[in-house]
Order: sequence, then C-alpha cells, then structure tokens
Amino acid sequence: MKTINYKYIYIAIALSILGSCSEDFVTIDPKGKFDSSTYFSSEQECYSALIGVYDPLRKNTGGFENMVAMLNAGSDDFYAGGGSSTDGTGIQNFSTHSLTSISIPGSFWSDHFQGVARANMLLTKLPGSPTSEASKVRFAGEAKALRALYYFNLVRMFKNLPLVLVPLTAQTIYDPEQVKPEVIYAQIEKDLLEAIPALPNNVDAKTESGRLNKGAAQAILGKVYLFEGKNADAAAVLAQVNGTPGATNQYGNKLLPEFSDLWVTTNKFNAESILEVSHSSAGNTDWSFWGQGKDEGNSLNQMIGPRGYSRPKGSDAPDLPSGWAFNPATQKLFDTMKDDPRLGATILNIKALKAAGKADYIPAYQDTGYFLNKYLPRATDVRTGGGNQELNYKQNSYVIRLADTYLMEAEALGSGARAQALLDAVRTRVGLPSVPVTLAAIKNERRMELAGEGHRFFDLVRWGDAAAALSDRGFDAGTDEILPIPYTELNGTKLKQNPNYQ
Amino acid sequence: MKLTKLLIFCVSSLLFSVIAVAQDVTVNGVITDESGMPVPGATIVLKGTTKSTASDFDGKFQIQSPSTGVLTVTFIGYAPVTEAVNGKTKITIQLKPESQSLNEVVVVGYGTQKKSVVTGAISSVKAADLEKVPNGRVEQSLQGRVAGVSVAAVSGQPGEKSKVRIRGITTFREGGNDPLWVVDGIAVDANAIGFINQSDIESIEVLKDAASAAIYGTRAATGVILVTTKKGKSGKISVNYNGFAGVSGPAKKLNLLNASQYGSVMNDKSLADGGGIKYPNPSSLGKGTDWQDAIFNNNAFRYTHELSISGGGEKSTFYASFGIQDQEGIVATEISNYTKKNFRLNSTHKISDYFTFGQTFGYTHQKTKGIGNTNSEFGGPLSSAINLDPLTPLVVTDPAVASTGFYTNPNVVRDPNGNPYGISSLVQQEMTNPLAYTQTRLGGYSWSDDFVGNAYLEANITSHLKFRTTLGGKLAYWGDQGFTPVFFLNPNMKADKNSYSQNNNKSFSWTLENILTYANKFGDHSINILAGQGAYVENIGGKIGVTMFGLPITSYKDASFNFDIPQTDRVNVSEDFVEHKLASLFLRANYDYLEKYLFTGIVRRDGSTRFGENKKFGVFPSFSLGWVISKEGFWKENNVVNTLKLRGGYGVVGNDNIDDFKYRGLVVGGYNYSVGNTGSITTGYGNSTLPNADLGWEETSQTTVGLDAKLFNDFTLALDYYKKRTKGILRDVVIPGYVGVVDKPSANIADMNNSGFEVELGYKKRLGDFNLGVNANVAYLKNEITYVGSSTNYIVGDASFQSMGPVTRTQVGHSFNEFYGFKTAGIFQNDAEVAAYKNAAGGLIQPNAKPGDFRWTDTNGDGTITDDDKQFLGTNIPKYTFGLTINLDYKNFDFMAFTQGSAGSKIFQGLRRLDILNANYQTSALGHWSGEGSTNDYPRLTNNDPNKNFTNMSDFYLENGNYLRLKIVQVGYTLPTGLSSKIGSDKIRFYLTGENLFTITKYTGYDPEIGGQVYGVDKGVYPQARSILLGANVQF
Repeated sequence: MKTINYKYIYIAIALSILGSCSEDFVTIDPKGKFDSSTYFSSEQECYSALIGVYDPLRKNTGGFENMVAMLNAGSDDFYAGGGSSTDGTGIQNFSTHSLTSISIPGSFWSDHFQGVARANMLLTKLPGSPTSEASKVRFAGEAKALRALYYFNLVRMFKNLPLVLVPLTAQTIYDPEQVKPEVIYAQIEKDLLEAIPALPNNVDAKTESGRLNKGAAQAILGKVYLFEGKNADAAAVLAQVNGTPGATNQYGNKLLPEFSDLWVTTNKFNAESILEVSHSSAGNTDWSFWGQGKDEGNSLNQMIGPRGYSRPKGSDAPDLPSGWAFNPATQKLFDTMKDDPRLGATILNIKALKAAGKADYIPAYQDTGYFLNKYLPRATDVRTGGGNQELNYKQNSYVIRLADTYLMEAEALGSGARAQALLDAVRTRVGLPSVPVTLAAIKNERRMELAGEGHRFFDLVRWGDAAAALSDRGFDAGTDEILPIPYTELNGTKLKQNPNYQ
Repeated sequence: MKLTKLLIFCVSSLLFSVIAVAQDVTVNGVITDESGMPVPGATIVLKGTTKSTASDFDGKFQIQSPSTGVLTVTFIGYAPVTEAVNGKTKITIQLKPESQSLNEVVVVGYGTQKKSVVTGAISSVKAADLEKVPNGRVEQSLQGRVAGVSVAAVSGQPGEKSKVRIRGITTFREGGNDPLWVVDGIAVDANAIGFINQSDIESIEVLKDAASAAIYGTRAATGVILVTTKKGKSGKISVNYNGFAGVSGPAKKLNLLNASQYGSVMNDKSLADGGGIKYPNPSSLGKGTDWQDAIFNNNAFRYTHELSISGGGEKSTFYASFGIQDQEGIVATEISNYTKKNFRLNSTHKISDYFTFGQTFGYTHQKTKGIGNTNSEFGGPLSSAINLDPLTPLVVTDPAVASTGFYTNPNVVRDPNGNPYGISSLVQQEMTNPLAYTQTRLGGYSWSDDFVGNAYLEANITSHLKFRTTLGGKLAYWGDQGFTPVFFLNPNMKADKNSYSQNNNKSFSWTLENILTYANKFGDHSINILAGQGAYVENIGGKIGVTMFGLPITSYKDASFNFDIPQTDRVNVSEDFVEHKLASLFLRANYDYLEKYLFTGIVRRDGSTRFGENKKFGVFPSFSLGWVISKEGFWKENNVVNTLKLRGGYGVVGNDNIDDFKYRGLVVGGYNYSVGNTGSITTGYGNSTLPNADLGWEETSQTTVGLDAKLFNDFTLALDYYKKRTKGILRDVVIPGYVGVVDKPSANIADMNNSGFEVELGYKKRLGDFNLGVNANVAYLKNEITYVGSSTNYIVGDASFQSMGPVTRTQVGHSFNEFYGFKTAGIFQNDAEVAAYKNAAGGLIQPNAKPGDFRWTDTNGDGTITDDDKQFLGTNIPKYTFGLTINLDYKNFDFMAFTQGSAGSKIFQGLRRLDILNANYQTSALGHWSGEGSTNDYPRLTNNDPNKNFTNMSDFYLENGNYLRLKIVQVGYTLPTGLSSKIGSDKIRFYLTGENLFTITKYTGYDPEIGGQVYGVDKGVYPQARSILLGANVQF
C-alpha cells in the first residue's frame, strides 16, 4: 500500500509542477520580428515603418507585374510580347483588353493597398510614439502623399474602391464597402494638401534622394486635378512646380539639355526628375523573393530585352544582355516617331541591326524588332555580384519628370502664351521647332516625349481617345477604361465587381 | 505472465550456477514442424550458456548438456520452444508456427501489447518481411505492405523521400499530412526519417486509427509510425552480413519525335498558321538527337553492405551494426548519386533486480547529388530532354558551325575534346543541353549527419509498478555545397561570374518522458494503467550560408572559401530556427476480462507553442473495445473460423503542424527601399500579419470498426472500416488585398471526411517440402470535402501548370484537389460543325474555333465558353491501393515476389512546355488533326492556338493512373548446413533480386507512381529505376 501512496504523491507533484510551468514552457516570442502591439516605440522604428510605406513605389518598374510594362502593353504604342500568348496571362490579356477578374494580376490591387495599409498604421501610431515633432510632421506628410499616390493609381485602374484609412483588424476585415470615385479623389486631394506644407523643399541628395519633397507632392496633386478635370486647379499647382518654362524651378529642377541623358543608368535623381522610383543592384535578389518587398531591382529592364541576343565579332551594335522580349513597340508608334529626334533614345531597332548582319536575336511573341531603348539595359548594367543578374538591374524610373509637368500644365491651360512656352520648352530641348499650342499638339508631344514610360494608356482614357486608338486591340468602350477587380477581393467581402466584368 | 517467466529464468539461472558441476550428457535431437517434417537451420541454445548449435538438413542436432539442462529452440516464423533435458539423450522437439502463438506482441506506443488483446487498428511489418527488400529508404519498405497506407515516390532520384499517407490525407497543408515517425520513442521529422537503416529495424507498427494514435495527441492526426530498432538477445553472439550489388536503368523511355518527324510536325504547324514550309525535306533530317539517350544510364551501379553483431549475457545485451550503401541515379548519373553510411549501437543492462538501463544510438551520414528539378517543367535534364528539339546536335564537331552564333560566346560549355555542346536556337528559356548542364553542376551535393538516440532508466518499484524515465535527443546537421562555373548554356541560362556556396544547418531536439505503469491481475480481470508526462523541444538551431562570386578558378575541385574575395562579392544567408515545444500529459488504461472482453482508453493533453493564449492546450480522448468471440463458451471449436475478435474505437487527435506565430500580429523587416543616391538599401518594416488569438486546433476524429480472425487454420484476416473526420482544417486563407498585409493568416476554415475499407489477408502453409506464405492487402479510400467556409463552396486548387493556372479545385462534395477543367467533346471536323455549335440566341458558342479545334462542353448551357464551364474531371487520389507478397520456399531454394499498385485515379500529364513554341512533342502528336475525319482526339497544331486547345486545362491532359507493378522478385539459394558449417557459419544464402521489373499501366509518361506536391501531377518526374541485384547473406 505504501508504494501506491507514493505513486499518488508522485503524480500529484508532477501534475502541480506541470500545471504551473507548462503555460510558460509552451510560450515563445518571435526572434527578429516584432509584435505589432509593441512596435513604434522609437523614432527609428517609425522611420523603418516609413520606409515600408515607400516600398510599394517600386511597383512602377519592379517585379514581373509592374505598372510600366503592364500599362505599355495596354496602350497603342506597345504589345505585351514575351515568349508566347500565354507568357504572363495578365499582361497578355490587358494588351488585348480581355482581362477577367481571374486573369487580372491581383498585385496591381493589393500591392498598392499594402502601401495604403502601412501608411495607415504609421499615421495611427506616429502621434503616440516618442518621435521628434519635426520628424512627426515630415513622416506624416510623406505617408499621406504616398497614400494619395497609391490611391491615385488604384482609382485610375479600378475606379470603385473601398476607402480604408485606419488599420483593419481580424474583426473588421470584411466591413469596408466601395465608395464613389469622387470620395476617393477628395481624400487624395486632402492628403496631398496636408502633405505639401509638411514636406521640405529639398532633400539631402546623398542620404535622402528618393524621399518626397514639396515639388513631388505638388506634381502629384497637379496630375490628380488634371485627371479630375479641374484644369484651373491643376494649372495653378503645376505652375508652382514648373516655374519659368525652360529655367530652373524653385526646387532646382530643370530640363536636361540632352534627352538621351535621362536614360543613362548612373544619372539618378537628375535635375529633371521630380518623382523617381529607386532601384538598386545591392539587394542580391534571387528568384526566391523576386516580386516581394526585399527585391530592389528594376524588372522592366530584364523584361524588355530581346531574346537570344548576340553580335558577331566587330559589330558596332550595342552590347545587350538578353531579356524576355516584352513590350515590343508597335509599328504604329515607330512610324509616328520615325522623324522625331527622340526616336533613337526611345526605340532600338534591332530588326534593322539584324538585317544588316550586325546583331542577331530570336524573334519572340508579337515581335516587331523595336525594343524600348529608354529602359533597355546594356551589358555594363548587368550585375555581376550576388543574386541573379536578371533581377538586379539598378536603373531608376520616373513617375513624374519636369517635361511631364510642363506638358500637363500646358494641357490644363489649353492655350495662351504660357502654354505655348511650356510646349516649346519641351520641343526646343530635343531641337524641334515650335508648333502652335493646341490640345492635339500637346497630345502628340506627350506621346513622343513620354513613350514607353507608362503614361499613354491613362492619357488615352483621360482624353476619351482610348476607344479609337485601341479599337484594333479589342478595347470595348464603357468597359475597358478600367480593370476588373480581382475575384479574391469579392469573396466574402462587400465589394462589387466593376460594370461588364461580372 | 512475463514476470513469472522472468522469475523462472532467474531461478533457473541460479540453479545452473549451483549445479554447474552436474554431469554432461550428449543430447541427440530432431526438430520438426507441426506436421512432423524436419526443420533445418533451427537454433538450439543451452539456456544460461552461450553454447548453441543448429539443426542440420534433416532437422537433427547434437549438443552437450548437463542432464538437468534446458534447451531453447528458435526458428524464424515459429514460436520458441523450451525443453528440459531431464537426463534424456534423445529428444524430439516440435515447433509451432508463430502465428498460432498467442504471445505475439505489437508495439503500441510507450509499450507493447499482446496482439490478441489489441483493440486498435495497428498493422505491423516485421524484420522478416523487410529482409528481402533491397535497402532503400524506410518509407519504401512500407509500400504495398499495409492496407490503408499509401506510399508514392516523389521522384526516382536515389535517396529521395516518398510520400506516406495513412488513411488518406488529414489536412490541406502539404507538409501537415506526413505521419508522425517515432523511432525508439523519439519523434523524427518525416523529411529526416531517411537516416534509419532498413536492416536495423526490428518492426514497424502503423497506428492507423485515432483510438491507437491518441497516445501521441497533437501530432497524431496523420497517423503514427513506430519504428523499433533491433536489440541484442541473450545467448550466443550472432553476426549477420548482407550485401548486394547490381545495376539499374530506366524502365521506360518516352516516345518523342525524332528529327524527321519533328520537321514534318513543325511544317504542319506552320502551314496551319498560314506560314510556309519550315523544313523542305523533313525525311532528310534523319533521326536527329535522342536527348533521352544522352541522359539515361542503363548501367547505374548500386551496392549495399551491412554487418551486424548482436548478443549478450544475462545482464547485458547489445546490437551493433554498420552499413554502407551507394546508389547511382539513372538520369545524368554524374550529378545524381546517393550514399549512406550508418552505425548503430543499442544495448540494455540489468543493473540490479530493480533497475534496468537501456540506450539506443544511431548515426547516419548521407550525401546526395541531385539533378535539380525532379518534377518540374522548368528546366533540369529531364525536362530539357523532353522539350529540346531533335535537330540540335549533342556536340558540335563542325568547326565552321562552332565558330558562329552562340558558339562564339567564350563561356560555352565544351566536351573533353574541346567541342562545344550543342545549343538549340529553337528551344530555349530553361531548356538546355543536358550534357552541358551536367558540367555546370559537378561537385554539388547535399549532405546530412544525424545523431539520434535515447537512454532510459526503468525501475521496478514493485512487481506491478514500473517507472521509466527516458531522455531522447536528435542532433542533425545538414547542408549543401556547390560550385557554378562561368557558363553559357543559352542566352537565358548563363553565368558570367562563377560562384561557390555552402549552406550549413544545425538543429537539436530533445524529449523527456516520465512514465509510470501499473499492471496487475485480479482474478480474471487484468488491468494495465500508464500515466506519463512529456516535454518536447525541437528545432533548436539555425542556418548559415555563404556564397562567393568570382573565384579565380575554373573547376569545382579548386573551390575554396580561402580565396580573398572582396566583401561585395560575398552573400550571406542566415537564419535562426523557431523552436517548437510541446508539454504533454497522457494516460492510458487497458482492461480485459479473461482476454475476452477488452477495453482501452486514452486521454492526452498537449500544449503547443504554435497556438495563441486562448487555444494553447488541447485535450484528445479516445477509447476502443474488443470482444474475442471465439473465447466465448458458446463458440464451438471448428476448422472454419478458428479465432475471431471484433474491435472498434473512437478517438480525437490533433495536428499542430502549422507555421509558427500564426496567432500573432507581426511587424517584420524586408519592406525595403533604396534611399539616397549611393544605391544602399534601407530596411523597411511593416505589418505582415493580423493578430488572431483564437487560432484553434484542427481536430481529427475517427471511428474504426474491425475484426481479426484466423480461418481454416492457415488464413489470417483483418478487416477494418473507418470514418475519419477532420474539423477546422487550418489553412492560409486569402483575405482581401485591401487589408494590406502580405502574409496570409491561418484560419480553421474547412472540414473533410475520409472513409475507407481495408482488408489484410495472410496465408501460411507447409506442403511437404514447399513452404508457402501469401500476404495480400487492399484498401479503398474515399475522400470528400464537406465544408470550406460559409461564403463559398470551393477553394482554388494547389496544383497549377504553366499558364493554365490551377488545374485542380477543392470543392464541397468532391475530393481534395480534384482535377478541374474543360471537358472536350470531340474535334470540329469542318466549318459546318463549328457553325452548327450554336447557342439559343443563334450565336456561335466558340466563335474563335476552326476545324481541328476542340469542341468544349458548354457545361452551364449559357451559350458561351467561359471558366464557368469547367467541371470536375477526376480525382488524383487513388481509390484502391493494393499489395501482394508471395513467399515460397522449397528445400534450399526460396522465392519471393511482391507486387503493388493503385487504381481509380487520374494523372495530369504535363510534360511539354506550352510557351516554348518549338518544343518537341511526344509521338502522339503525329496523330494530330490534319483534315476532316483524321482524328477526334488530338487537335490541330498551331502556334496561336486561339481555341486554347493546349492552354486550357481539359480532360485532354488527363490519363488513367491505374497501375500494377512487380516491385520485387527475389530468388535465393541457401547452402546446405553441412557446407556452411565448415566455415562455422549458420547460414550462407545467395540471392538474385529484380526491382521494378515491369509495370502494367496505360499511362504514357515515365512512371504512374507520382507523389509530388499534389498526387498525380506529372511535370516530368524522375522515373524509378529498374534494377537487377546479386546478393549474399551470411550468418554466424
């Protein structure tokens, strides 16, 4: 009997020990990560969170599903291209204006909303954090301007959006409803108007290039007004950015004397740049995390290169790394541009090089032989260090540059001496004579100046020219001006699909 | 019973030592089986000594024994017999087959149980069953042997793991379905189980039902596989050598187009698109390059040597083994190879009457060279061999060609003669000359060192009460290294700088368990109670890897980190693993009345680090009952049903095999941006998940009913029916993108049922000189999704193929990941048929179609073909799996044949790259549509494919996955005892083994056994080898 008593005592002791310590035993904390309940406890942490808000800016030219490649493909200036008609279903379907809620790459929606969510979180936490007042003001200004830019991209692509301005929780995920685009635009204006006074006139070139200044926010606001049809407001705010046509503006911006210098890889954050997306080869990106936050390379560079490019010995053709042959320029663009001095910097005619025996390449899907030279990398741009070379191109890309804001202001003004001066400044830079300022002249100038930079599709839609320009590409007026909302967004939510995509 | 035996043993040992002086007599004996036939090769041991002998061909033996000595006779397949000499000099000892023995025990988790009183669904594989299986990975030894356990090779790469599923899948997460492997009480990760050496295994028990597995609580939902390694036995030292060597080759080649066929098919394709003839005279192209021949090795060498020594005295026993195995792959052998070296030492020591100490220890080193992709359409030698055009030469020998085009690139890969390997200008992307590719991967391999062991101390507190404390540990090191030279395989696959990398991982796990057992008999009532406590910690460790670029060398042989490489050309990766801990309490009670009415109850409470504060602990109960009808008084002894036991049970088990920290809101780095003009990168932080403190356990409940019977004296039968229900399946859920967090949260979102029926049938009979044994098993499985959330009835499938997107769908009322796509209804033979395919409004249903295109079934009848017309096209989960083993001995000859297979599933054959327009075709493409009436099965070939004949997921891609495979055939010959005993050997046997000799299947790919991420999706699986092996087995 005694042993049995011992047994019970033993079990009792064992149970009490276990009962008291097992809860702690099976609780662990994450290493190298933070819990959201305790983050934002220093200025440094808030700054890191601000960088997280900047991160989705790379959507412009980073990752396979980037804005420029996509928007080019949907315009009349470029095709999708690539390996075949199924190489990247999303970009292919946009090029033929046959996107469905399934084939639309969800990242065009969700990546921008990630930027919005990170801005929301930072703006919620910033006031209570031990951050200096000056930094609080500037960080909040940047977060708001970026949130406005992300919403601006979203509203132009998808039009009918939920307006989310505070962090969602597991309980509120399914609450948001779509609001009218005017409500979104009102919020974008509000964010930008609050951001402009909070942002510095200039940023430190070495340590802060890439962060927003006042001029960048004004340029975004001017563009927003233009898309809203508020031309007077647009002209007013863009005048702040443009200053005297052809001269240096108040932020130090000026047209580069040489158009082709805009596309020199090392010429980052040059005088003409107003809002520029930063890429770097220092990320050692490999396929395992391509397209996620950590990759800093310019993917457009890789996508648009010719397939299987080679040169015979002694050829004076440019030394190009091979790419994936996306975004071949249309014959229409080539023909329209053929007498423009910007043709060479915009399009590399590899077809002609091949015909001359100076280079060879494998024609891929929708090949025209015309490649987008603005972002076509040279062999010297190829990263030779860590990571995959395809994923580590470092050329920055422009979201807004001064020639663009000149033409936007000219368009907002419509006519008059200042409009003429703005248009002339853009033409003079490339050695073209003045033409009388008209909407048609401005439209043509935008096309020539900004070809391949991702503006054309939105411009066509804004001007109401899309149906005519894209009739041979399957464009249906009243439907294809906006994209379908990805189907995953409709599953269990209160969101409704865009018209004609149901 | 056992204790009494032990007592007798101890007392008799004592007696021996006292009466050791007694007079020796010479005993002449005969060993016979139950039918009186002599049994050769039986071992006769004089108890308490190391003296032993073996019976000769006529079953006779002679041994010197004290007149009071006791002899023990053992022979495989028969119950041991103890016979007192009692001064006799002539003895006849009759053996009875083991299956008749009521003392056969099975391992049940934290102990053993007599098979006759087991109430759960437990299947055993014993050492004897494994002896004739060529040593490979342990999972393969289970294939086809246990009803309800499906085993499918992930690839034929030597050393590659197989996918094991017990009674179907339990959850949706791929990794969450691996069963729990427990080796001598230590849980071992399913990926690492390859460390165990097959011939060290004493038995493998599969706990199939929840009622048995519940003792492993949270980790048991997927079933539990208990591996027990061999222990030494008291008595003579026994030495066992087994070794074999042989060659392997591919069992099958695909029928691909040769050069002239390729030329004519490409001509047809070009013409169909309105282009011109591409190859004016296809027949002049000849056969061209056979890329498969270039990579397949018909003489891949393979060998295994194993040596074990075991034995022991009264106090201590030991088992030690050494093994080495080397297996060349059949594909691109230079970069496909597997070697394993292992060592094991197990021992037990009786310290005193009260304490016993025991330990097991195993060390294994494995080294694998792999070809890269083993089931992928994105490159690798297999995928390249299938997709490359036959026009490109293997090696370019013409100097005129070798100085033009791609070949001017200084980095082209050359053969030993300095000629460049052919580079296709037609087929590129990831498809590269496999011989050149091989040269870029030389010297690369992955490796692992596993140290797994435990030590226990057992105290017999009273004759009924035992306490045992066990400390187990697993220390694993693994990693890989490789050198990539500067190379140019094609414009997409090249490296301008060489690189050398090493990745090293270390992980340590430990287990502490304290178990108290109480066993007693009260009259006719037997009880056995086990109470235990356990603490488990795994994944203590991390990873460090370094890659250096631009080493001043050209060969992997010279690669070293000692080169002084600038910091900018070094890339490091490192990671701390997240610990996973469990704290557990468990209780099991067994009760029986006269071994007639049986009861087992189990309850286990587990706490896991993977769940939030609200759901940290889970409680998992189970019970099972048994009724041995044949022991009832009303049961008349008969020769039809000799014994019959009914059993049934119900239990709930859990699964915590999910990612860590799924319940927390995490802010993580990696949302980076380059700020400043120096190109440096600033780390950005952001929320990656939303907190969810209610994240709960997935629970799998299972009801099993079954029976065990012995029929007609020679047959054993086990039948099982089960219904398994998983509730609250944890899955990463797709949340709306506007939430703005990257990592998908997990939620308990789905329910699933598996039900099935299993039959295991055994037959053993001695007919004169013939000894016949047959084991057969069949299992039927039905998998059905019952819930996937309140707002939807399906979730997108996990398998996708190139641009097709998902090719499966998981929907309520269907099986997990069922194939989902368009159904074809023949081919439009002419314009009239296209025009006639009209909807109610008079519009064409397929406006883009041309003659030669598939007619898609308008499933929803809305008059257009959209994604809504996709339908379910068949399951990839085999409905039936089966295995059959036949053992036949005749005098000194033995024969074994083992077949296994499955039926009732479809295979997706996705071997061709759709986005590479010039990729080669299988010869079935020769039968493509070429005009009215030509075919109704294979559409026209075109580059544009506006009707999406090839880019739509449809039944065109699905094939019948049924197969029956002759897995192993072995013929052996044992030398007569008289001959072998001349060198002191007990047994010398030679054997010839054939592995995967043939497979009956309609499947046109390499191999119907496809255990990839989703079963049955073939993207170019590395096929299994066909091997012929010659071996020898020597015992002392």
